[in-house]
Amino acid sequence: MIALECDDLFATWRDQARTLLGHGIDPAQVSWVQGPIDDLLAVPTALPDAPGPFRAKVPAALLSLLEQAARYRGEQRWNLLYEVLWRVAHGDRTAMLAGDRLGSELHRRIKQVSREAHHLHAFVRFVPLPDALAEQLQLDLVAYHEPAHDILHSASGHFADRLGRQRWLIATPQDGIRFDGQAFDYQRNCPQNWRKWARNADDPGAELWRTYYRHTFNPARLNPDALRLHMPGRFWRHLPEGMLIPQLEGLARQGKQRDGQAVEVAGQRGKQITRSAP
Amino acid sequence: MQLIAKLGILADAAKYDASCASSGAPKRSSRGSEGLGATDGMGICHSYTPDGRCVSLLKVLLTNFCLYDCQYCVNRRSSNVPRARFTPEEVVRLTLDFYRRNCISGLFLSSGIIRSADYTMEQLIRVARLLRETHNFRGYIHLKTIPDADPLLIEEAGRLADRLSVNIELPTDASLKRLAPEKHAHTIRQAMAVIHQGQQAVAGEPKAPRFTPAGQSTQVIVGADATDDSTLLRNAESLYRGYGLKRVYYSAFSPIPDSPGSVPLAAPPLLREHRLYQADFLLRGYGYQAGELLGEAGNLALDIDPKLAWALANREVFPLDVNRAEPALLARIPGIGLRSVQRLVALRRERRVRYDDLIQLRCVLDKARPFIITSDYRPAQGELRSGLLRARLREPQAPVQMGLWG
Repeated sequence: MIALECDDLFATWRDQARTLLGHGIDPAQVSWVQGPIDDLLAVPTALPDAPGPFRAKVPAALLSLLEQAARYRGEQRWNLLYEVLWRVAHGDRTAMLAGDRLGSELHRRIKQVSREAHHLHAFVRFVPLPDALAEQLQLDLVAYHEPAHDILHSASGHFADRLGRQRWLIATPQDGIRFDGQAFDYQRNCPQNWRKWARNADDPGAELWRTYYRHTFNPARLNPDALRLHMPGRFWRHLPEGMLIPQLEGLARQGKQRDGQAVEVAGQRGKQITRSAP
Repeated sequence: MQLIAKLGILADAAKYDASCASSGAPKRSSRGSEGLGATDGMGICHSYTPDGRCVSLLKVLLTNFCLYDCQYCVNRRSSNVPRARFTPEEVVRLTLDFYRRNCISGLFLSSGIIRSADYTMEQLIRVARLLRETHNFRGYIHLKTIPDADPLLIEEAGRLADRLSVNIELPTDASLKRLAPEKHAHTIRQAMAVIHQGQQAVAGEPKAPRFTPAGQSTQVIVGADATDDSTLLRNAESLYRGYGLKRVYYSAFSPIPDSPGSVPLAAPPLLREHRLYQADFLLRGYGYQAGELLGEAGNLALDIDPKLAWALANREVFPLDVNRAEPALLARIPGIGLRSVQRLVALRRERRVRYDDLIQLRCVLDKARPFIITSDYRPAQGELRSGLLRARLREPQAPVQMGLWG
C-alpha cells in the first residue's frame, strides 16, 4: 500500500497520479492521507520517482472535471479522483459520466462545489469601512464567509467584476483573498489581521438593508421550508438579515397573515388620494 | 420623511410583484473600471425571505401615490395606506449601497401613476439614466413600463434597462373593465408591441446599442377574478408567440388591507400558482402546447403535476424505450427532466442504458417506472390503468402552509 499526502493541492495530486498511472499502480494499492489519522492498514511504500512506462491518454475534459471535483472537502477526496482517472485511462469512459456509479459520485461532488461557489456569490456580505479606516487599511469592503468547500480562490474573480476599483477582502476560517483594485492576493492560510478586520467591522448601515428585507417579505405567503432549502441555516449568522428570519416567521405565524402588509406599515396613518391630487 | 421610513413604505408597496429575476443580461464587467456592477446572464438570489421567495433585486416603487383605482392593488387611490415618494437620487443611493454590500444584483423599479403616464415614465427613466450614465452602474436594471406612456419614452427605457415589463394583471377585458377601470387591454398590448419592435430592430446586429437584452416579462394575478387556468395558459402562449415574452409571472392574489368588496377576501391556494408555473415551464422549455395541457376549459389538477397529467392522458405514447426514443419524447416522461435527458443521451452513446442508471441519474423513478423501457426492465403488460396510477402517484394534499388558510 502506498500512502500519499498532497496537502490538498490539485497540482501535487496530479503529479502523483501521473506517476502512479505510469507504473500501472491499481487504485486499491494507494491511499491519500487526509487529516491527522493515517490509514492504519497502509504500510507506507515509496512512490516511484521516475515516470512509468504506461503512457495514459485521457480526454482534456476529464482533467477539468477532476480539478473541479478536487475542491470538494470530504471523505475519499483524492482516492475517488484516482479511481475515476484509472478507469478512464484504461478505456472505460463511462466512469466520467453521471450515469455510472462512480461517475455519479464525481458529478455529485462537482455539483456541490459549484453550488458552494454560487453560495459565495450570493451570501457574502461586504461591510463598507468608514473613510478613515479605509484609508489606513487601503480597503473599502470586508467580508467574513464560511464556505464548505475549497472554492474561495477559484470563485472570487466574480467580485472583481462586480466591484470595479473597490478594494476588498474576504476572510474564511481557512483561507483569505484580498483585491487592491488591480490584483488578487490569495492566502491559503488567512492572515490573522484580515480575519480580525472582517469579523469586527462595525456596521450601522446594515439597518437599511434589514428594513428592506422586513418589508419585501409577504407574511401572507409564509413558506419557511423553501427559505431553508435555498439558504441553508449555516449562512444565516453572517447575514445582516439572518437574525430577522425566526422573528418574522414567528410574527407571521401569530396571525399576521390575513394580508401581506408589514405590521409597521399597518400602524401608520394612511392617505387616500382624490382625483386631482397630488 | 427619513430615507429609512420611505424605504419601509415603498418596499412594502412593491412586494406584490412576483418577479425578481436578474438573469438573461449580457456579459458586463466593471473590472479595472470606474463604476460598479457586472452581469453574466446568470441570476443570483442574494437572500430569501420567509415566504420562500428569492431576493435578487432592490424592488421598490418610486412612489405609491397613485391616481388609478385598481381594486386588487394596495396602492389604489382609495386605499388607506401611508404614502411616500423617493427622489431619484435616493433610489440611486440605495441601489449602489446595497449593491456594494452584495445584497442585490440590481434594481427593479416601478411606480404609482402620478400626474400622467408620461411624467411617471420619465421619472423611472431618470433613475436608470443616473445609474447608468452618472454612476457607470453595470448591474441589472428592470423597469416597469407604464402602458399609456409615449412610445418614445418606452424606447428610451429599453436602451437603459435589461428588462422591461408591462403587467397584464387581469387576463380578460371584462375583468380589467370591472377591476381596473383606468387600464385598457389594448394599450397594454401596444406597449408590449413597442418593446418587441425595439428588440427586433437590434436582433442579429451585434454592434447596435442593446435594447432590453434580458427581454420583457409580464405578470397576471391569479384568483382576483374568475378566469380559469386554461384561459391563463392560452393567453401566456399567445404572449410568448406574439411578443417574444421571456416570462409570464403568475401571482396568486394576495389579500390586501381594507380590501374592497369587488375582490375576494381570501387568497387562492398557492398550489394553483405553483401548477401554473409548472405548466408554463412546459410551454417554454419542453415544447408542450397549451391545448395539450388543458384540452378544455377549467383548471389544472392540483393533486398531480401537469407533466404527469399529460402522460396519464396519453398512455398510447408510452412506455418509451430510453435507449431509442427521441430526446424530445424522453423529456415527456414524468420524473425525467431536461438535464437527465441530456445525460441519458450521452450515456447511451457509450452503452445500453439500464434501470440502475436511472437511479444513479436521480430520476424520480416512482413517477417514471410505468412509462419506461430499459435494456433490463419493462413495465408489466397493461400494468395499471391510468386511474389507479393516478391514485398511487398523486401528491398528498394540504401541505402545512396550505393549512394556514383554513
